[in-house]
Amino acid sequence: MKRRKILLVAAGLMGFASPGTFASDIRVIGNPSIKADTISATELKSVFLEEKLSLADGTHVEPVVEKGGAVHKAFLLEYLGKTDDDLRTYYSTLVFSGRGSMPKRLGSDAEVVAYIAKTRGAIGYISSETTAEGVKTLAIIHSGNSAERKLMTRVEPAYPETLKRLGIGGVVRLLVTISPKGNVENVALLGGNPILGESAISAVKQWVYSTSHSRTVAEVSIAFDSPR
Amino acid sequence: MHRPTLGLAFLCVFLRTDQLALQAQEFKLFDRTVQVHGFASQGFIYTDDNNWLTMNTSQGSGAFTDFGLNLTSRVTDRLLVGAQGYDRNLGQIGQYHPSLDWAVADYRFRDWFGVRGGKVKTRLGLYNDTQDLDFLRPFALLPQSVYPTDIRDATIAHVGGDIYGTLSLKQGLGDLSYTVYAGHRSDSIYSGYPYLLTQFGTHFTSFGGLQYGGDLRWNTPAKGLLIGASRLDQDTTGKGTSVSPFNPTAGIIPYSESSKADWTNQFYSQYARGKLHIDSECRRYVRDQLIFGGTSENLDDVRGWYVAGAYRIIKRLELGSYYSRYSITTLDFGALAGIPPNQTDTGLPANHVYDKVITGRVDLNKFWNVKVEGHFMNGYGSSTYPDGFYPQVNPEGFKPNTNALVLKTGVYF
Repeated sequence: MKRRKILLVAAGLMGFASPGTFASDIRVIGNPSIKADTISATELKSVFLEEKLSLADGTHVEPVVEKGGAVHKAFLLEYLGKTDDDLRTYYSTLVFSGRGSMPKRLGSDAEVVAYIAKTRGAIGYISSETTAEGVKTLAIIHSGNSAERKLMTRVEPAYPETLKRLGIGGVVRLLVTISPKGNVENVALLGGNPILGESAISAVKQWVYSTSHSRTVAEVSIAFDSPR
Repeated sequence: MHRPTLGLAFLCVFLRTDQLALQAQEFKLFDRTVQVHGFASQGFIYTDDNNWLTMNTSQGSGAFTDFGLNLTSRVTDRLLVGAQGYDRNLGQIGQYHPSLDWAVADYRFRDWFGVRGGKVKTRLGLYNDTQDLDFLRPFALLPQSVYPTDIRDATIAHVGGDIYGTLSLKQGLGDLSYTVYAGHRSDSIYSGYPYLLTQFGTHFTSFGGLQYGGDLRWNTPAKGLLIGASRLDQDTTGKGTSVSPFNPTAGIIPYSESSKADWTNQFYSQYARGKLHIDSECRRYVRDQLIFGGTSENLDDVRGWYVAGAYRIIKRLELGSYYSRYSITTLDFGALAGIPPNQTDTGLPANHVYDKVITGRVDLNKFWNVKVEGHFMNGYGSSTYPDGFYPQVNPEGFKPNTNALVLKTGVYF
């Protein structure tokens, strides 16, 4: 009897720790007709709430949602701030008052990938572990650099001596890709002095953010205050 | 088939339909996808004293049925067209006369600028345009102080157009959604106001008029918090026949009434986070009506507010409660002055309805729910304004308190 109880507890713990229990990484994917490679979290929410029918670059978009599952739940909570019930209520409000239509609801990642691959403007979400051919991945940009991904470790960039002596400073703008685990995967210079940018990039590559369900992209601005 | 059984039959078809069939809801027409959605509900009300909502509820009444069906298609990326038919029976109201609930063509030029035209649901407060869709909420009846179901026709839709849009505010300040509209309102003669006036021998053949207004709602940066305000102005005319109150022996005379002033202000807030939903709204409705061809004037000042909360305890069970407070003052001028006495003391049961409500909603599956709701009301409102309690179904007069048990089941797909 005692042994049976221990087995049950062990089985329960294994179930709790199984990968499916925790929402795995989310990848936002779109039909290749979508010009953009990134989408802001705010824009993503507006698209899925049918407040926006097009992205900032003018591309028409059509949201596709899953019927259920861990990725679906995690996506709704993280990016729409809603439960599945809330979302169905929201869409029903639109449909039954003549203000919108029900988005396509599909049963699996594979169905989502297949539908998005053949439907112009379609945008959806899948597990990052799912193979996705014929679609493009959209990186999610969080507005601000600390509001949604908290910066845990920050390394200050070195101010190049020559520029400092010459009184050359300014603001450097970087596009930072952060992995779900929080480490910086890629940094691109968006604007500013290239030498200051180089210094900023090498510092930002050492930054560590809080974990998240998905890979995100944040715009970071770093100021080099000239001593003059 | 006997008319009340139509709704029940419709509901039975829904209830016997399995989940797979409920999900089969689109077809292709001219290479465009057409979505089909519908809903139906059946209620039962029992009250301990006064009869309520034009039903003989003190005996228990199931004359509380509604259903609707819509077709919607996105014709192009920016053009949405659709229409919904609706029918209901609520005691003496509706009486299974079907209506075109809405029929719109909606073109969104930009996300901040769209137009829709046709018969359009009127946006007023949180729930005016969705008040029939009880499957969206835990409550069987919305707070009657702000959403009186017996006069839904007065605000539900207009034949005209809307301009609408959503603007994202910079610096993470959320977004603003606006709607401005103008059109023509047309009431069914099977609505609460025409029914109320039959007690005076007045029978409408038509009632309606101009309706215009706007709504502004702010999705604040605080997650789940929405606040907003609506304004509605109307200019209505009603025509029909009546018994003259000045000379009842004169027989039936032509009757007309028209608006001198008719406006509604509504303010609202909603907080939804996870399993918790909290709403609050207040509405003031002022209606200054020239009656009997302008020989008399009737001024009603109706004020209502409520606070409602609901929490989903477990996946299939949601509990909720609200407090709803309604009051009315009525003044008459001109030839009719003094015939019905002016009512200005809102502390009297004849001039208010205070309603404490508890509810439980059980979701049997994703498409079918059952609600059990208790109403504990003080007051019965004015007998010259439609506010749930009608003299015709309470011929022995009103008692100050009414307790009501509401059972309702509904399906949608």
